[in-house]
Amino acid sequence: MQEYKKFVIEKDQIVPTAERMKKDGRMLTMIHAFIDTEGKMDISWDYAVEPVIESYHVIGETKVPSVGDIYDTSATWPERELNELFGIEFEGLDTSERLFLPEDMLEDQGKGQIMVMPLSELRAKNIKEE
Amino acid sequence: MSYIVPIGPYHPALEEPIHAKLYTEGEVIKDAEVFVGYNHRGIEKLATERNAVQTLVLVERVCGICSHSHAFTYAMCVEDLNQMEVPKRGQYIRVITAELERLHSHMLWMGIACHIIGHDSMFMHIWDVRELVMSLLERLSGNRVNYAMVIIGGSTRDIDDDLRRDILSDCAKLRESLNRIVDIVLNDKTIAMRTKGVGVLPTADALRMGAVGPHARASGVNVDVRRDSPYSSYDDFEFDVPVCDSCDVFARIVVRALECLESIKIIEQALDNLPEGPYNNGFKLVKIKEGQTVKRHEAPRGQLSHMVVGANKLTNHRVSIHVPSYKNTPTVPFMLRNNSVADAGLIIASIDPCFSCLDR
Repeated sequence: MQEYKKFVIEKDQIVPTAERMKKDGRMLTMIHAFIDTEGKMDISWDYAVEPVIESYHVIGETKVPSVGDIYDTSATWPERELNELFGIEFEGLDTSERLFLPEDMLEDQGKGQIMVMPLSELRAKNIKEE
Repeated sequence: MSYIVPIGPYHPALEEPIHAKLYTEGEVIKDAEVFVGYNHRGIEKLATERNAVQTLVLVERVCGICSHSHAFTYAMCVEDLNQMEVPKRGQYIRVITAELERLHSHMLWMGIACHIIGHDSMFMHIWDVRELVMSLLERLSGNRVNYAMVIIGGSTRDIDDDLRRDILSDCAKLRESLNRIVDIVLNDKTIAMRTKGVGVLPTADALRMGAVGPHARASGVNVDVRRDSPYSSYDDFEFDVPVCDSCDVFARIVVRALECLESIKIIEQALDNLPEGPYNNGFKLVKIKEGQTVKRHEAPRGQLSHMVVGANKLTNHRVSIHVPSYKNTPTVPFMLRNNSVADAGLIIASIDPCFSCLDR
């Protein structure tokens, strides 16, 4: 049956982890992100180590290396999405073209969730409710 | 002579909005780009302000074709976080609905594929057979789409003996019709001429780009979440995973046609062994416990994953939805290269794209 295993890693372990997973033939199922209840950014790279999802988390960083060179479009598309929705910067990622949001909203009105609700407000709301 | 041919985002040949730019030399596509995001509704954002019952309704509306898949996967996440056991009968009913959904989705796509290649009699024949599945779904759930068959802890509706008998009898009819369809797909000259060698995605490139579902299996990648990472009650059933290694549009039709027969196999096993007992844990609103989980489901188009973060509140802290078209769409520009402009519509359609899912 399916299992979910969470590992917290440092930013400098993102690329070596991706390289190891690629070498082992594991699929990068998704890169997720959210602001945790303490207001910190939680970015996770999920790899399918059947039947387990190994989820590698980097917490509190908004600038992380891209794994696009290792996982091609299965990494660059989620990275571009997170760049638009959360403003996370993936070093080495080409963000010259939009993925989901209209071009005129990228520059003028903030990105993604910031556009719907400013990140500062979202963070404040999460901390307040906690 | 070089031209840039734009297709979409709003175009009569497209069921959903996508924009493609074809860089052509004469009739040959030398390069291509795809642009998505014309249907972004902020569903993940909305989910952070919804409770579990409201979220089930919301995620079902991510997509009209695989609506049950989204509700199924989200419910599994909440049940995992809340350590809730789903009654076996409820699990079986979820699986039956999921496989009926796969049947209707695959037959819808096969019909459209035949329509695109100009084989309209086959299109009408497949959609005629599909109507049997739609009627079953309507009888089972009351709806032809957005079935609302899932609640946290089980299924909303039971399957009584009459319905069980009727589904089994219709499955026999479906198998007969599908065997005929498989036979036509494998032997028809028109289908072969229009699809063999078209839109090739070699195995190595499918793996490199992380293709999933029937699209990957048609490129020789042997993956299926139902078998590789069983969930719900899928490990109770025996079924094969059709894989084809010709990597072209023809393979995508064959794989989906054969998968329909496997879905019937699963439905019959589930109905023959439908466990006695409750089919849900009662209708109640649960707090989503603190924690984080990811659950995966083999939706008709491939691996669907939901990540849910709970904060011990009624509402979700975060719901992240990752759909199969997200993995398959980036393979389109690669497949378009060195094909003719006339085949572009067929190649784009061959991944069975769902831009409504992709954009969320």
